[in-house]
Amino acid sequence: MRLKKLTYFSIDHPKLVIALTLIITGLFLFQFPKAHIDTDPENMLEADQPDRVFYDLLKEDFGIRDMIVLGITDETGIFQPQTLGKIARITNEILKIDGVIVEDVISFTTTDNVTSEDSVMQVRRIMETAPQTTKEVEVIKTSVFGNPLFVEKLVSKNGNAAAIYIPIRQKNMSYSISQKIESIAQKELGKDQNYYIAGLPVAEDTFGYKMFTQMSILAPLIGLVIFLLLFFLFRKSSLIVPPMIMAMFSVIWGMGSLIGLGFTVHIMSSMIPIFLMPIAVLDSVHILSEFYDRYPELKDRKKTLTEVFDKLFTPMFYTSITTAVGFASLTLADIPPVRVFGAFVAFGVMVAWILTVMFIPASIMLIHENKLISKVVKNTKKDSLLTHFLPRLGQFVFKQSRLIVIGALLFMLIGIWGLTKIIVNDNPVKWFNKNSKIRVADRIMNQQFGGTYMAYLTLAGKQPNDIKKPKVMNYISKLQKYLESESVVGKTTSVADIIKRVNYVLKGSTSSQSVIPQTQNEIGQELFLFLMSGNPNDLDNFVNYDYTKANIWVQMKRGDNRDMENIEKGVQQFIANNSPPDGVKIRWSGLTYINKVWQDLMVKGMLESVLGGFIAVFILMIFLFRSPVLAFISMMPLTFAIVLSYGLLGFIGKDYDMPVAVVSSMALGLSIDFAIHFIQRFRQKYKETKELEAVNNYIFGGTARAISRNAFVIIFGFIPLVFATLGPYITVGAFFALLMAFSALTTLLLLPALMRMVGFRFIKNKKD
Amino acid sequence: MQKRKYILSLITIFTFWNVGISMTQKNLSGEEIVKESQQAFYYAGKDMQAKVLMKLISKNGNERIRELTMLRLNDNNNDKQKYYMYFHQPADVRAMTFMVWKYTGKADDRWLYIPAIKLVKRIVADDKNSSFVGSDFSYEDVSGRDISDDIHTLKKEEKINSRNAFVVESVPKQASGAYFSRKVSWIDKETFLPLKEEYYDKRGDLYKTFTADKIENIQEIPTIMKRTMLDTQNGHRTEVSFTKVKYNVGLRDNLFSERYLRNPPREWIR
Repeated sequence: MRLKKLTYFSIDHPKLVIALTLIITGLFLFQFPKAHIDTDPENMLEADQPDRVFYDLLKEDFGIRDMIVLGITDETGIFQPQTLGKIARITNEILKIDGVIVEDVISFTTTDNVTSEDSVMQVRRIMETAPQTTKEVEVIKTSVFGNPLFVEKLVSKNGNAAAIYIPIRQKNMSYSISQKIESIAQKELGKDQNYYIAGLPVAEDTFGYKMFTQMSILAPLIGLVIFLLLFFLFRKSSLIVPPMIMAMFSVIWGMGSLIGLGFTVHIMSSMIPIFLMPIAVLDSVHILSEFYDRYPELKDRKKTLTEVFDKLFTPMFYTSITTAVGFASLTLADIPPVRVFGAFVAFGVMVAWILTVMFIPASIMLIHENKLISKVVKNTKKDSLLTHFLPRLGQFVFKQSRLIVIGALLFMLIGIWGLTKIIVNDNPVKWFNKNSKIRVADRIMNQQFGGTYMAYLTLAGKQPNDIKKPKVMNYISKLQKYLESESVVGKTTSVADIIKRVNYVLKGSTSSQSVIPQTQNEIGQELFLFLMSGNPNDLDNFVNYDYTKANIWVQMKRGDNRDMENIEKGVQQFIANNSPPDGVKIRWSGLTYINKVWQDLMVKGMLESVLGGFIAVFILMIFLFRSPVLAFISMMPLTFAIVLSYGLLGFIGKDYDMPVAVVSSMALGLSIDFAIHFIQRFRQKYKETKELEAVNNYIFGGTARAISRNAFVIIFGFIPLVFATLGPYITVGAFFALLMAFSALTTLLLLPALMRMVGFRFIKNKKD
Repeated sequence: MQKRKYILSLITIFTFWNVGISMTQKNLSGEEIVKESQQAFYYAGKDMQAKVLMKLISKNGNERIRELTMLRLNDNNNDKQKYYMYFHQPADVRAMTFMVWKYTGKADDRWLYIPAIKLVKRIVADDKNSSFVGSDFSYEDVSGRDISDDIHTLKKEEKINSRNAFVVESVPKQASGAYFSRKVSWIDKETFLPLKEEYYDKRGDLYKTFTADKIENIQEIPTIMKRTMLDTQNGHRTEVSFTKVKYNVGLRDNLFSERYLRNPPREWIR
């Protein structure tokens, strides 16, 4: 390979190569202060993705803001002077927080109630000031429970909880505002009361905030674990420091270029360091393994390095290319952060390769020969567990190849069965662990109130004022009735509810029922009356300016994508059975819905990119091995790893969510590495000896050890993620370790069996 | 005609200028300035008739129209005022009528007539801060706020739009009694009309700005013919134009009654 000259050059000019590496690293490091952080899951969608554009339009049309919900519970009931006083004071303090949309805050002291008394219509704040007497409290209680718009929205059915809805200017202010709300609530509330902060924006923004603190702990921890693993494997710190530095440099180059090119650091790209580090050191493990094998014999670092790189250069190049291709396949996905992640991990992997073939030999050249002799030569005398175990495993596999292939087929079938049980589902709130404040708040609030997960169902007519038509109003009402019949929907609110309420208040004395008026004029005039007596924003949230569009607020008690999907299907069915009047078009939106949309894209995108990557890697393998059959065999570890791991997910009932989806493409590039090293060495040796058993023994004497070491590094390198407090990192860590374990096992068991039974026939004699 | 108008306004300016000087010399307090201003703004003439066009304009340019005829009658000693409004537009609210009896030191009485169900409803609302027909003007902005609700301080005098103005700051005596925490008004030293007002919310951020965009003399009374209220926080604004303004037309007190809500007086509401 021509590129090998890079290594020879580095061996001859180590200082120059190291100096150059340091300078370039410095340049990339210089980009870091420019980092711009983006924690908005909405950016999982392209800016021009139709559902996102529609959501933005909806927010403008109806003045919808992202909302934080504060729940205040009192076991002894909220309807007592003291507790109501606390609610009043808390609301008042919240109004002073910067970023809160003051006029849209919904609370006892900010919301008007329209009631009718002795033919007089009263428009009053539910609670003007904190009540002093129980009689005043009773008045407030009756007024709240008398208005169906308030029950399960402002107050729970049992009267033990009140809610304050706090719209905010920007979603990325949610975390800091929620912190301020928390300190206000903490200061005010006593031991009988509790507070809960819920809502998707808080979950999403808090995740973004926590993600960076987690990363700053996890990344160094992973570095440390890798260092310890390498030390355990090679026991010579001066030799394992260069790979560690190289791994760090790869991360700096990768992140530096990402930031330098103006990309934002998103939830996805924040994971680049923890992925890149273990991957970056893999080639070095092979180099060190081989170096330790050869050096005691040659006792000359230059000669040893030349020999090691002669042997490893091609497989290393291919393993790096395939890993990069695996990650690059993510750029096929329709999700911008995933594309960025894929592209820059791929770039980082290639940086790691170039540093491995230049920086590593250069660094080893700088270690004194005497030092190397004293450490490396002595060390290899010791027998490790692996050197004992692996040759025996090799023997077993060679003799029982048939049994292994049959066993593998069986596992494959079980895996496929598991795949059919996989459930695609996600919910950002569930990214936090069960006992976190956000999860607890989510549970309590959705028990007490109509639901904290907001979705919007919009109806668009053709002409201005279409929404004021009685048949449209009645249709809205009917649609709501259907929605509320679904258990996941807690409460729905629309312009039809407002009309019914106004109508009831106006004609309260004559009809006790809330009904929709029969003429458009009457509806128009009643809405006008509402505008004259309330906050115009209250109406704007439900109809647009010229009354062509209406917006039903759908509060859901659960925000899983699966729940959203079911409701969406249900509404589809409803529309099929009840066609909307006058060509009214119905469409979903809202944060809960948007999350479902990007997850659909994610699943589809991941499937496509994994397939694309699979094919690309397969073609590369045909080039490398010059045989489709060998290429096919080399794909086995990857295939088994994916089928078995995802099958296992299906069996244990873990949802296929965002992190799980991403991991599949990562496995793609890494599982193949094992197979490349294995088959490449097998070929080289077989061409020399033509003795199957001898080749098998040779592989299990050396290559298998390097592969096992690699598997250890990668599996244990990801283990620290399991101790993260955020779900996606735990999933990624555990699931990735699982994938790697399966592919290492397949490589060590199935590949030798297949090579022995079929593969050897396809090794061409021509030298490469 | 043009010339006559010019001379007329010259005369008024001159007289008011003189008045202005004599008053400043007396060192008007903040409260006195606001009192003068309310007289000029809300109580001009004995009565008034005008056609009002309100445009409610959203941030992205969508418009809603409100067109109404407004009749106003002052009580003898100006502690009571009566408003009558007849809506021409939007189409589905045509013939809706609205009446306000405004008192000082006491909540307003309001009545609304809904023609579709032929019903007069009395509305009791404590909240003078609530929006007037969905616009950016509150009821208080339309009919004036009690002077005694705020503490008024003359901050300085400065030129605004080449007019000399008092800059008065008004702070509510009771924080809960107002939506704003502070209001700054630029009051014309000659006409005592408010040229500009800035409303600050409880966080101290500007949230609403009033501007008098066109001032004309009608029957020698300086009158704001075009005004705008801008919600600086959400970009929504309301533009109000007055046309056919007439003062002292001789409105009778019995016009402001439930009977005329149901049967609008044709001669006054054309």
